[in-house]
Amino acid sequence: MLAADSVLLYHTDPVPLHKPVSEPKRRFEQLVLPHFDAAYNLARWLTRNDHDAQDVVQEAVLRAFRFFDGLRGEARPWLLSIVRNTFLTWVQVNRPADTVEFDDALVEIIPTDEDGPEIQAARNFDRKMLNEAIAALPLQFREALILRELEDLSYKDIARIVDVPIGTVMSRLARARRLLAESLGATSNISGTQVHK
Amino acid sequence: MTREEANRLLHAYIDGELDPAKTLELEAHLAENPSVRAACERLREMSAAIRDKADYHAAPAWLEARVRAAIPSGPENASAPWWRWLKPAGSFAAVADWLRPAASFAAVALVTWVVALGVMRPSEDERITQDVLASHVRATLSSRSYDVASSDQHTVKPWLSARLAFSPPVADLSASDFELVGGRLDYIGAQPVAVLVYKRRQHMIDVFLWPAEAQKAEQTLTRDGFNIERFARNGMSFWIVSDLNRDELDDLARLLAERSAAP
Repeated sequence: MLAADSVLLYHTDPVPLHKPVSEPKRRFEQLVLPHFDAAYNLARWLTRNDHDAQDVVQEAVLRAFRFFDGLRGEARPWLLSIVRNTFLTWVQVNRPADTVEFDDALVEIIPTDEDGPEIQAARNFDRKMLNEAIAALPLQFREALILRELEDLSYKDIARIVDVPIGTVMSRLARARRLLAESLGATSNISGTQVHK
Repeated sequence: MTREEANRLLHAYIDGELDPAKTLELEAHLAENPSVRAACERLREMSAAIRDKADYHAAPAWLEARVRAAIPSGPENASAPWWRWLKPAGSFAAVADWLRPAASFAAVALVTWVVALGVMRPSEDERITQDVLASHVRATLSSRSYDVASSDQHTVKPWLSARLAFSPPVADLSASDFELVGGRLDYIGAQPVAVLVYKRRQHMIDVFLWPAEAQKAEQTLTRDGFNIERFARNGMSFWIVSDLNRDELDDLARLLAERSAAP
């Protein structure tokens, strides 16, 4: 075999085993699908049941693919914002009774003294109680808490996903934690656990 | 800083979202106020408890498989066309009529520029080709062809493994008249690589090795009188450079590929 110059002698690119995958789909699979669990986790916490979460995630991911061109920056917050929007539309259609009100002022905070002692020692939280208490939070506080604590997203990312100013993210998180502490405090009072005051 | 403000900022503080100036101010306040400090501690514990104990719902595997399958893979199903972005909305339509020729001119200029960049910049393969060739020529010129001189694969392999983040396959091909003379390290394509040095008659043969994910096409080329072959096996990229004739170099490539076919 005498090659003169830069001669390609033989190609052994792997033969595709199944039907060829288009370039946009391949890129989508590489960039976006690694965050499938995050999408499911958010949908599961928003819908609060597996079956609805599956519907929402499936629709959200297909929608994400249609708007893939609009992806700027990181894929995870982008996908999560689509999951959230899909959820809001889905609620209107499927659970009109639960249609969400985003007026933070509607959620009354029981005034406490300024030290915030209502946030009690958290290491004693029972896993089941904690999950139930988070699930019982009003939507805007629940989603802020999940995005912050379980997805470890910055205030900036959360503000983008939820489409509110960063200051609102901060106050929603504060309220979410306070409401959670109150509900857990109340529960542990009932069950006789000592509450630090 | 008032106690009220401190309590308000605690959340941003434990979330690592407070700016440096406010952080200093708050920390000074915390140092003086044990009760706020205790509140801060409880807040941290609560955050840790949520991270630790709240359920993270991972998606069931079948769901991901189903969604993956549902994503259309035909080109006609690709995302919205790019020119949608040029299309104006509502009252901006009049302005956009002015902008449209400008936009298409800009688009043409951009495309020209991108194409020119692509043409002028050597591809990754071309850069690697130049790198391995330069390395081989430098090694033969300086008569410093290897860092470790040994015909024993069990000496060369551990020597290389100890200095690299991967363990290169080292084959003893003396039965086929390719004598292993040693190994060295080099830097190709922005990463440290292993070089195995073989000899046939008076010809030095360099085999460059590094981990590569993609199975590149096997390719042979000739550059400045040197023959180059490259292929990939078992997650390793092989580039062979020598002034040895093409047929014998093909033999070596085949032997190396066979030897490293099984892990």
